[in-house]
Order: sequence, then C-alpha cells, then structure tokens
Amino acid sequence: MSIMEYCGAAIVAMVGKDCVAIASDKRLGQQQLTVDMEFQKVFPITERTYIGLSGLATDVKTLHDRLRMRVNLYKHREERVIEPKTFTHLLSHMLYERRFGSYFISPVVAGLDKNNRPYICALDTIGCIDSSSDFVVCGTAATNLYGACESLWEPDLGPEELFETISQTLLSSIDRDAMSGWGAVVHIITPSGVITRDLKSRMD
Amino acid sequence: MSSLLSHEIGYSAPIEVHNHGFSPYVNNEGTSLGICGEDFVLVASDTRQSNGGYSINARRSPKAFELSNRTVIATTGCAADAKQLVEDMEQRAQYYVHKHGREMSTPAMAQVLSQLLYTRRFFPYYVFPIFAGLDAKGKGAVYNYDAIGNIECVSHYAYGSAAALLQPFLDNQINKAHQRGADTTAKPSRAQAVKLAIDAFTSATERDIYTGDWLEIFIVDSEGVHKLTRELKHD
Repeated sequence: MSIMEYCGAAIVAMVGKDCVAIASDKRLGQQQLTVDMEFQKVFPITERTYIGLSGLATDVKTLHDRLRMRVNLYKHREERVIEPKTFTHLLSHMLYERRFGSYFISPVVAGLDKNNRPYICALDTIGCIDSSSDFVVCGTAATNLYGACESLWEPDLGPEELFETISQTLLSSIDRDAMSGWGAVVHIITPSGVITRDLKSRMD
Repeated sequence: MSSLLSHEIGYSAPIEVHNHGFSPYVNNEGTSLGICGEDFVLVASDTRQSNGGYSINARRSPKAFELSNRTVIATTGCAADAKQLVEDMEQRAQYYVHKHGREMSTPAMAQVLSQLLYTRRFFPYYVFPIFAGLDAKGKGAVYNYDAIGNIECVSHYAYGSAAALLQPFLDNQINKAHQRGADTTAKPSRAQAVKLAIDAFTSATERDIYTGDWLEIFIVDSEGVHKLTRELKHD
C-alpha cells in the first residue's frame, strides 16, 4: 500500500456564490486500524483562508506547524493578512523545496480573497497547483468524491445550499471508502464569517 | 587437433530468448449499473471498449444484453469472456423453455448465472455481471456477482472502471441515508431512474477515460424489455 494511503482521508472544497466550503473526515488510521476519530485535517490559516492536508499524519502536523510559522512571518514583514492565492504559492514553494524527498501530503486550499472572490485549489506532493472554479478533492476517497461532486455540485450555491451539497457529497463518499470516515467537519467561509459544523456519520 | 577443438569452442550459436507467456485475460474497461424500481428494473452500460491503455478498441461494443426470458445481463471486465458467458446464459434460457414449456423466472436465472460462474472456479471468466429482471411478483430485482459467482440482491449497483464514481452518487440519490426525514425505503420512479442513469454516466464520462461514447439503457417492466440509447462524450 502506498504511503499516501497509510492514514486515510477525504477532503473536498467547493465554490459557491460569494462563499467557499471545505470539509474533511475525522479518521486517523494505520492502514485498516483506526487510531483516532477526532483527527484534525483542515486548519485555519487566516480568518478566511483554510487548508486541508491529506496524506501521512506526521507530515500533516509538521507541514501545518511550518505553515503557521511562515504565515506569521509574512504578517510581521508585510503588516497585512496573506491572500489565499499568495498563500498557495508560499505552500507550493515549500513543497517544491523538498522536490527529491517530498512531504507525503496533497493539500487543498480554500478561501475568499480581499474582494470576497472565492479561491480554491489542490496541490500535489511536490507543489504543482491545480486551481479550479468548481470543486477540488483529495485523499483516499478522491475518486468517490469526484463522482459525487461531478453530479451534485452546481454553480452559484448560497452558503446554506453549499453546506448541504458539500455535506451530502462527503458523507456519501466516505460511506464507500473504508479508509476514511468516522465523523466529518464542514467549514463554510463567507464574507461575514466562517460557519463550522460537525457532522455525524457511520462509525464503521 | 588442438586447433580444431579451439575452433569448436569458439563457435556459439546466437542465443535467442523467446517469452512464451500467455495472458488469458484482458480488462476491456467500461461501466455498467443496475437500478431496481417497484415494478421495473433499469440496467445501463456504456459501449466504449478499451484495453487498459490510451487506445479505444471500439466505440460501439455493447456489454449489456437482453435474454429471451425478459431479463438483462450487464457486464464489465473481459469482453470475450462476457460474450461466452452471455451465450451460455441464453442457451440455458432456451433449454429451459424446451424442457419445461415456460420461461425461466428471474431468480432462477440469477442462480444459474452464479452456478455458471462457479463452474469455472479455478479458471474464472473475468466478468463482473449485473443481472436484472422482474421477480415472480412483478417487482424489480437487481443482482450483482463477483467473477466466481458470489451473488447479492441489491437496490442498485455499479461495476467497472467508473464504479467508484457512480456508487456514492447512486447511494445518495436512492438510499437517501443522510437526508433527514427522507423515505429511505422508497424506490425511484421510472423517470427518476432514467434521469439518474443518464446523469451518473454523464458525470462518470467527465472523469473516467474508459467510459463514454454511447449509453445503452434497458428497462424491464411487465410489457417487456425497452431499450434507450443516449450519446455520451466521445473524447
């Protein structure tokens, strides 16, 4: 089994009308053994930029810590909050620095920029940016998520509609993936603030 | 004498290495699904045939087939094995008519398919069938199998290269397990089932390179077997 499938994850981000959503499952595993049911995979970077990290759990923690440091340094030097697109390029450079000994992480970034325009993208393990205007997915349930997203997502969803869509997508996908699940969390990022909701799901 | 010996030692015939490996299986990819309704059943397959690479063998090579006892079998896996299996099935259906003077029922035929697959337990047909028809009460029945005949009766199922793309969507729209207050036992209407099948395949075609070209939909109801064809993306 690939090291990318060692811990298990399902992360999805979607664009709505003047809002974005990012959601993940909560399982941490060592292959088929479930170790933790409250493992955080989606992290706030700024008040309106979130990142989802799927892959090897030790690298999830390390990369999150290093990103926190780099974003804080950016804030001190620039005296402003980092934009999602700028942050993505910072992350891309950090990953490509380790071109020949990469972090076993494929990240997803979701946020609103200073003009409240939605921004989402996914990166591979060495930092190649795949920006999208609809949805991005990563993790062991990526194929399931693609199928569900492709059929359920539609343009210009409001915050509540987007919440329902991303929740249905994630829950249906993790039910068909043995490596992810055990609860889920959804963040809806709107110009007026972030709505965070925990979802109950099958615990098997 | 010594010179002759050295000449003989110095000569060596060119060594040609031949690989005599025979690979009996090919995965011809593509996707099939079955949806069970109250008084009907729907089976859909795309018609693209590939060999696991970037080439397309055929754009219109059906893998769902109607049998003479108003049942349908949809396959994925090895197209050659599937063809042989379907011919076996049709032969068994005809033989039953000649022997008993009536058509074989859907559950009986489902069991026959399981047995046919298990007879080749140690050199299996590389086929993952979905079998569908109306049961004795006129209700829809969908069965799915693994390559050696393990059988399961389900409300809906997807097999093939885009199965992982289709299955969560079908679960979501048919089981409605995560929708508060929804009737989780309700079966889709005929119009809903057709719409689901077309939507599911249209979406699968976007992300799976092995699914596309044409979609063949079979609907079995009390009047017989109806066939619809829809165009999918050809890229």
